[in-house]
Amino acid sequence: VAADAWRQWAAFAALFNPMAHASAAGALPGSSPGFAPFLDAERFAAAARAFHQSGEDSQTAAAAFGDFLRDQFGGVLDGMWGRSAPDRSTPPPPEAAALGPTREQQERWQRLAAAWSRLQDAQRSLQRLWSDALGEAARTFVSSRGAAAAPLTPETIHRLYDAWIDSAEEAYARMAHGETFGIALAQAVKSAGEWRDESAALIESWAKWLDWPTRSEINSLSLRVRALEEKQREANRKNETAARPAGKKPTTTTAKKRTARGKRKR
Amino acid sequence: MTANLYAALSAARHCAAGCTEKDEVWRSGKLRLYRYRSISGTPGAVPLLVVYALVNRPYMMDLEPDRSLIRGLLSRGLDVYLIDWGYPDGSDRFTTLEDYLEGQLVGCVDEILKVRGLDALNLLGVCQGGVFSLCFAALHPERVRNLITMVTPVDFHTSTDLLSKWARKIDVEAWVGQANVSGDVLNQLFLALMPFRLSQQKYVDLLRVPPDTARIENFMRVERWIYDSPDQAGAAFREFVVWFYQQNRFLRGGLEIGGRSVDLHNLELPILNLIGTRDHLVPPASSRALRALAGSRDFTTLELDLGHIGMYVSARAQRQVPAAIGDWLAAR
Repeated sequence: VAADAWRQWAAFAALFNPMAHASAAGALPGSSPGFAPFLDAERFAAAARAFHQSGEDSQTAAAAFGDFLRDQFGGVLDGMWGRSAPDRSTPPPPEAAALGPTREQQERWQRLAAAWSRLQDAQRSLQRLWSDALGEAARTFVSSRGAAAAPLTPETIHRLYDAWIDSAEEAYARMAHGETFGIALAQAVKSAGEWRDESAALIESWAKWLDWPTRSEINSLSLRVRALEEKQREANRKNETAARPAGKKPTTTTAKKRTARGKRKR
Repeated sequence: MTANLYAALSAARHCAAGCTEKDEVWRSGKLRLYRYRSISGTPGAVPLLVVYALVNRPYMMDLEPDRSLIRGLLSRGLDVYLIDWGYPDGSDRFTTLEDYLEGQLVGCVDEILKVRGLDALNLLGVCQGGVFSLCFAALHPERVRNLITMVTPVDFHTSTDLLSKWARKIDVEAWVGQANVSGDVLNQLFLALMPFRLSQQKYVDLLRVPPDTARIENFMRVERWIYDSPDQAGAAFREFVVWFYQQNRFLRGGLEIGGRSVDLHNLELPILNLIGTRDHLVPPASSRALRALAGSRDFTTLELDLGHIGMYVSARAQRQVPAAIGDWLAAR
């Protein structure tokens, strides 16, 4: 499931991502697949040695070295100028340093992958606890029942079912009230929130490139509107206070809020 | 029997809740204030405003003719108003508890008082709406004549409160971020309190007896209500969880709404506290704590052998709850 989800994300990202992760062919183990200058350097060294050791046919060697250089470095600008991203089925390794012009993008992917991994870990913890509770419930339930003395009727089956539900709920409640379950649940909630935030950040980066409005912008505008509304209410309060005859009991702040916001229906 | 049950459920799939005629009398943003039409002649002089929770829809109070708390109250001559908070969307994510209480709830109360030419009304707060009602009555005691709290949490740190145990460990900032909180996710959390009963047994129970149309229709209405869960405005949700579930500010103090301290000791008005002894969402001990905190000398506690939802829709509730409220108010 995780791999499928990741592939879906990667495919979705590839649709929108103008900042291709550059040529990943032959990337060094542990390095970012999107940035492989170290292997390029090794190849350069090998080609240079071949050129210098070419002996009498230096012209042919020079042509070969020139072709190598054009091939090897022909893709350097691809990542910047929009060649489509290669199909990638795995995220950058989390420990890899993000390097080069796509480093911000790489780090977003790394954070998203890490959040997804934490979410999976938390879900597995919950699943194990759930399984433990079910196992305990089943053992308790079965051990408390002997072989049926009489044939089962629909009514006795229902009673048996109810007894099983009681047993399951009791075992679950013991587990659910415990510290371990609470911590696992909290971790699942936290990692789900982090995964959502990282996903949103990634999508926002695409939205910015497409000049689409982002949630951050809308949030910022919403807060500005709230601040303006509050200033308006404050100004109204000051005006009303100034206009009120001396000694008259002040009306409540909240009543004015209502006046500003509400509409009577008739 | 299973085939018959499927057919009966299918026939009942369009059943809608809400049976009593009402009029929208005021609105503010997504909030709607309704007044129910009288069914017993001239309604009472002092209106009763029902403040429901944000986490579910208020039509549960008026599910169907024979399962309607609202109808029961109307039949006792009460003049009933109800707040529908609406469905928050992305534009509401920065709405705070202060906005709900000092903006919207105050707006409703002021509107009713203005139109009716009164100084105070009666409040009936349900669950989270009860928490709001307590805060409102503490902040604006002059506007509340009598306060009724129903299945209302007050002490959020009682030993059997599973929801609270979970909520205290959760990093609410990470959960909410700058977004709203999905009603569906909250629903999953509520179902996880008793997963076997709430997601398995209640359906299997339908197979116990031949499907009766009225029973199946009632089931479908409740089912629709359970999963009709509005998203929660992010800022208000964060405040509610942190201030109440995590910090238990009713008991420990430090609760402020709009810069004003909320102290339940200031509640000197008559209070009726309705508690469901089988409530799995709001443990009875959590509600009972109100008596010790409130400053009222006219305090009545009524404990009923009901669950959280049963308090509004069970047959027993229809017999007991409206009568208890009606009699208590009539005596005041």
